[in-house]
Amino acid sequence: MNENRNLVSAGAEIASGNKRYVVWFFLLNLMFAHFGATAFNDQARGILDHSLYADKLLHGFDAAVFLELLARPEFGTLPSAIHPAMMFAVVFFLVSLLFMPGVLLGYASDHRLPRDEFYRTCGRNVWRFLRLFLFFTIIAGIVAGILFGFFNALATAADKTSYERLPFFMQFVGAVIIFLVLTVIRVWFDLAQADVVLRDRPAVHKSVAAGFRKTRRNLGRLLGSYVVIAIVALAVLVAGILLWHAIVPPSSVLGAFIVGQATLLLLLATRFWQRATAVAFYVKEMARPLVDEAQPVPAFVAPVVP
Amino acid sequence: MAVRLSLVVWLLAVSLAVPALAQTASPVSPAISATTSAINSATPLSVRVVAYDMDAKYNAKAHSLDASETLTYHNLTGQALDTFPFHLYLNAFQPTSTWIREGEREGTRGPGFEKWDNKSYGAEEIRSFEVVGQGDFTSQLQYIQPDDDNKDDRTVVQVHLPKPIPPDGYVQFKIKFHDQFPETLARTGWNRDFVLGGQWFPKVGVWWHGAWNCHQFHFDTEFFADFGVYDVKLTVPQYEVVGASGIEVSSVNNPDGTKTVAFHGDDIHDFAWTASPHYLIYNDTFQGSMGPVKLRIMMQPAHWNQAERHARITKETMDHFDRWYGPYPYKTLTIVDPDPGSEAYGMEYPTFITSGTSWFMPKGLLLPELIVEHEFGHQYWYGMVATSEFEDAWMDEGINQYTEAKVMDSIFGPSTSNANLWGVTAGESDVDRLGYEGVADLDPIAKNGWQYADSDSYGGATYNKTALVLLTLENLIGEDAMRQAMHTYFLRYRFTHPTKEDFLKTIEEVSGKDLGWYFNQAIYGTQVLDYEVLKISSVPVDWYEENLNETKGETEYISNVWIHRKGEFVMPVEVEIKFDNREKVREHWDGQDRWVRYAYQKRARIESVEVDPDHKIYFDRNTFNNSQTAEANRGPARKLTNYWTCIGQFVAQFLAWWLV
Repeated sequence: MNENRNLVSAGAEIASGNKRYVVWFFLLNLMFAHFGATAFNDQARGILDHSLYADKLLHGFDAAVFLELLARPEFGTLPSAIHPAMMFAVVFFLVSLLFMPGVLLGYASDHRLPRDEFYRTCGRNVWRFLRLFLFFTIIAGIVAGILFGFFNALATAADKTSYERLPFFMQFVGAVIIFLVLTVIRVWFDLAQADVVLRDRPAVHKSVAAGFRKTRRNLGRLLGSYVVIAIVALAVLVAGILLWHAIVPPSSVLGAFIVGQATLLLLLATRFWQRATAVAFYVKEMARPLVDEAQPVPAFVAPVVP
Repeated sequence: MAVRLSLVVWLLAVSLAVPALAQTASPVSPAISATTSAINSATPLSVRVVAYDMDAKYNAKAHSLDASETLTYHNLTGQALDTFPFHLYLNAFQPTSTWIREGEREGTRGPGFEKWDNKSYGAEEIRSFEVVGQGDFTSQLQYIQPDDDNKDDRTVVQVHLPKPIPPDGYVQFKIKFHDQFPETLARTGWNRDFVLGGQWFPKVGVWWHGAWNCHQFHFDTEFFADFGVYDVKLTVPQYEVVGASGIEVSSVNNPDGTKTVAFHGDDIHDFAWTASPHYLIYNDTFQGSMGPVKLRIMMQPAHWNQAERHARITKETMDHFDRWYGPYPYKTLTIVDPDPGSEAYGMEYPTFITSGTSWFMPKGLLLPELIVEHEFGHQYWYGMVATSEFEDAWMDEGINQYTEAKVMDSIFGPSTSNANLWGVTAGESDVDRLGYEGVADLDPIAKNGWQYADSDSYGGATYNKTALVLLTLENLIGEDAMRQAMHTYFLRYRFTHPTKEDFLKTIEEVSGKDLGWYFNQAIYGTQVLDYEVLKISSVPVDWYEENLNETKGETEYISNVWIHRKGEFVMPVEVEIKFDNREKVREHWDGQDRWVRYAYQKRARIESVEVDPDHKIYFDRNTFNNSQTAEANRGPARKLTNYWTCIGQFVAQFLAWWLV
């Protein structure tokens, strides 16, 4: 428990010492989402800007009027508003993939990482991270597929009973288990990513293997740390929604923007906190053997060289 | 001689009478009973045409039922009848039936079978059919298809009697039948260990407008039957909790582990029942103007905490109907919360309705309230005012949807009568408009139920458009006049089968207005109503001056407003023009032309223009274009875009959280 706390607090220390990464990623997140919402904004403005009926959406949120808006032919199709948002979500994911190596090196570094080193690390690890992503997708996809199938089958079986809540609880328990298993896989690959970057190792499968070994040996500690931070993230999300509902007047666009963005910023920060925790663990647990093993080498090799 | 002569005369008379007697059956002795034990009235309320006496044994394991039925029919048609058609509704749940074929064609609300599942199979087989005094006609029964040429549809069967039933005569049918209930697809059947017995017995058609009305069971149509008396004995396993139409007369445990529960109903035209081992019963009473009504609410265990919610909305609805439209005369009302996931929710039968909820149902989500209110409303618009749900679906569903809007708005407020949860609201009429807009010009309201373009059009026209048309009508003739018209319609036509003309004429009569122009477009036509503010302009009178300095309140403007009737529906409307000096001008346009322009010369510019500023018209297809402001108000679009952006950010973060 203590070790968990140490790891979580070590991660928090690293993340808070490198707040700029969270801020930059948040700004990118906001910018891309803004681009993604442009089509929606244009479509909505054409109908709402000069209509008194739109007041039902400003001074409250009338669900029927909102659906009526989406159903208007001049609004266009819903996919035409959704697709750009999805495209820019994918762009944000790619950008995260591209810049994450620099972040990990920055987290492991005891000084502020120079900009050129940051970008060099990013560039050097693009292909490696892409391969790691593919590894992750295959493994997580297979595991999640099996688990989803299993719990769906359980929920279907539960649905045949007369206990109405049972399918829901079955699905809920399934979702929690799937979340935990996927978190373990995420931990594993977070460590593999740290290993790739910090060892500058081109052979990513070795990092994947190393990440797997360390995750297996320290499962409780790592999973506990990640889950604690995920619970914080959930609390942030719930608190943000409640705050939005409680203090933001329906017509206050600015208030909603501030509360919404503050929530999303903190949400993003929790993920960086997890990554910082992984780096803290890596530096403490995985980098150390490398140094320990490296020292005897000259002593062992020395007699041979002469 | 005299004796001989009289004998000859007598023989002659007899010989003349014999052919006539050979053609008409002698009347069956038992008339239909005048019982009133199930109603708060000392005398029968309806002209009782039928009396059903049924004894049914339900096999819970096989979801099947064997029953005997004695149907007494009183021929009040004014002519001799030699043909009798019967509905066999459960035969609709067979792969080649018209119901399934239409459902497959729909693919919307329908079963959407990718593969036929035998659990969906339903059947209603007549094992023997005897006409008292005329013999056994089992082998002479003929399936008929009055609506289409689907020879595989077996939802209507007909018998031809060699001896016609004379006017005012009685005929008694003794029928033995076997039911196989389907896993619920629509309104009837089983789900797990629950069963809802709806449309489960051979039911005679209705002689209406000089002909038999006995349509096949269609995907979008419901039911139509004559009033009468029902005595039903149901034998079920003892562990079952049973509810049914009418009042419970007795419940006797049998030695074989079953029990027989007897029910009696007066002045009803259908009988439904339900059984499940899991029901929990919540009893309550409503004090109606004709006497107390026992409310029996049969809840699922997981919904028990919502029993009070069900009771409250039931009583509030009954109170509104009692005050506004007329009394509920029955002694009971059974509200059934059906098995979760079954397709038996939200259905009406006389004195028996099914609701629908889930174990998680926040108070702001008014789904149970909506369903209970709607289905109770059918006790009036279907149950008592028994219009044909085949030909005039709008007269039960639509009128009921209108009264639903009135009652729900009255209880929960117009803008929150469907939902009021976490800042998200929805009002009844807005939701109705949503259902109507997509299908506005496909079908008229007045149309045979099975001939609509599709289920969406059927629903949009019969439910939503009718409600919107009647809400608008209320604004045309006044709320009091409309309520009085509905009250008159109910009192005048309860326990009868009125037509659309009866309803529309009652409204004209009570309101004292000729509304033909409105009904022709709104009820019989497919014209769409869509008014828009086409454009507005305010130009300084001295626009040609080189150094024109516009000053608010001083500069004089020529302002123009163009109103456009985009749709074919012609209706007078009000137009309100607001100027930036707070002055308001109201114009009245008869809507006859395609457009109208209003011009003004004032020391003010136009601020906004609105068609129908009092929001009296509910079925304008596009309400967004009913107004136009000179200055853009970016607030609504910004607000929605902010939501959209936040969701986009969250999705992007979620993606990156897991994949990177």
